[in-house]
Amino acid sequence: MTARSQDKNSGRFFRGRNAAEKRFLAGTISPLVLYLAFWTIFPLLWGITLAFFDYSPRQTGGFLGFGEGNPFVGLQHFENMLNFSADAPLEVQQFHIGIRVTLLFAALVVPLNLLITVPLAFLIESVNGKAKGIFRTIFFLPVLAPSVGVAIMWGFIFHPQRGLLNAIIGQFTGRLVGTAWLRDSSLTVWGIPVALFAIIIAYLWQDMGYNLVIFIAALQGIPQSIKDAARIDGANWLQMFVRIIIPLLMPTILLAAILTMISAFQVFDIVQVMTEGGPDDQTQVLLLNIYSYAFRYQKMGWAAAVSIVMFLVVLSISFVQTRLLRSEWEY
Amino acid sequence: MPASTVSQKRVKLRINPAYFILIPASLIALLPFIWMILSSFKTLKEIRQIPPTFVPQEFTLDNYKKVLDDPDLPLGIFYRNSAIIAIANVIQVLFTSSLFGYIFAKFEFKGKKVLFWFVLALMMIPHQMTMIPGYLILAKLGLINKLVGLIIPAAIDAFGIFLFRQFALSIPNELLDAARVDGAGEFYIYRRIVLPQLGPALATFGMLTFMFNWNAYLWPLIVLTEKNVRTLPIILTWFSNQQVDKTNLTMAASVLVILPVLLVFLLVQKWIVEGITLSGLKG
Repeated sequence: MTARSQDKNSGRFFRGRNAAEKRFLAGTISPLVLYLAFWTIFPLLWGITLAFFDYSPRQTGGFLGFGEGNPFVGLQHFENMLNFSADAPLEVQQFHIGIRVTLLFAALVVPLNLLITVPLAFLIESVNGKAKGIFRTIFFLPVLAPSVGVAIMWGFIFHPQRGLLNAIIGQFTGRLVGTAWLRDSSLTVWGIPVALFAIIIAYLWQDMGYNLVIFIAALQGIPQSIKDAARIDGANWLQMFVRIIIPLLMPTILLAAILTMISAFQVFDIVQVMTEGGPDDQTQVLLLNIYSYAFRYQKMGWAAAVSIVMFLVVLSISFVQTRLLRSEWEY
Repeated sequence: MPASTVSQKRVKLRINPAYFILIPASLIALLPFIWMILSSFKTLKEIRQIPPTFVPQEFTLDNYKKVLDDPDLPLGIFYRNSAIIAIANVIQVLFTSSLFGYIFAKFEFKGKKVLFWFVLALMMIPHQMTMIPGYLILAKLGLINKLVGLIIPAAIDAFGIFLFRQFALSIPNELLDAARVDGAGEFYIYRRIVLPQLGPALATFGMLTFMFNWNAYLWPLIVLTEKNVRTLPIILTWFSNQQVDKTNLTMAASVLVILPVLLVFLLVQKWIVEGITLSGLKG
């Protein structure tokens, strides 16, 4: 509202602008347009076009490498994606695995993240003074670390012989434990591969800090008078949390859920370093799949088609996100 | 007297349960770091020991010496590569974001609506969408394995433009007008009047951009395939794959790569937290 009225003001204000202002705008906006045309619009169009060709940088072709060795295949890549038969080409089967693993990963990460971060933010916010800052820093620390380092640390924790996890389990059971958490594809819990759980633990450990600080900020925005009123009415901390805090945080929780989901869909670093998609493709997430087909097997046409599908999924989530953002703006 | 004991009791009851959960939880949160650091001081023999020890029985600095003396791992070069890319990208992104944010906030020109709409749309396009053609363009331009290959395509940050527009809207028009009356040029106004007004946003967004660039993995992995141009995250995975068996060396290298910058980030944590809560931006 304020933004719009100010826009109008500035419009009226600069309507009679002089030559210097015109020069300034021409000198800044035209490079911007040229830059965006070359580094965003052009690659976007190229990327979309790639999806309709059987393109590989190993083959030679005409303009931008299209044609000849890289023939036009129309919608064939997308049609292949719908081939669910057992004799589907390997890349199609891998794509189906990628979709399934990514959906499973996001479906587990989002609720687990919120189940930990919302109460944790409430607990941290309930502590006074200096301790609050210390706890927040501790839980935020992993966000600052490179995800590659996080993956190496956790890979070592899950190591069958040298890992911390098996050592701790060994301490409690009094036996030597040699479970290969990241390598043994026969390990599953409720049909979910244990290796995927291991990845989720490492991912949550790093990712939690984001939502935590967002929730802490939102909690600080709740007026003290509301909390005081609840306390005077005799609410204990559990009632306070469930009846007052959660409903007031709901817009923030929704927003955080969507942001978490979008980044979970694009998980790559931790998976690539910890398991490389294994064991038996149990952690083969979509972006890892795209990366392998584009840059390892050089099937860039196919990988571009998969990217488009992934983009459409993420876009639809982002769309919901902006809707929510807009409604929250007005509130 | 009885009143105060009651209130003290209530305060204790309110606080204690939180600490009861927070302290163990924070120990678990710190455990991977502690395990990494402790393991980096163990001998190879101790690392191989089954079951493993937690605290090193024999404390050694050899791993650090070996990693720092390893001719295959000139850490200084990789630190430099990472720093060049991150600093260059922070400078250019702050410049373009503040300049165009200001222009979108305070100027009217033909096509402004379309252009701003396009910038907003860009925010929603995930990076993997332009990853493959982006690589092909860099390859055609001969920028693969060049640090500038990670800098030139990163000059515009759509989210940055959007964010700085929000901040620039609150700069009073009278301030800009007064400068114009005094005969100041437009670029001078941007540099001397607008930029100082955007100071806190520059610091916050700058820290966040630096962190994302410093920790980036996938895109540098694609563009930088030759060893000596790599950045720290890529060289760390490369090293850990080389030292399959010598986990003590991998942990020492991890400490050397992760900890120094982690401590710097910790010092500016306030700005980073502010940036995240302000924007909801994720890496």
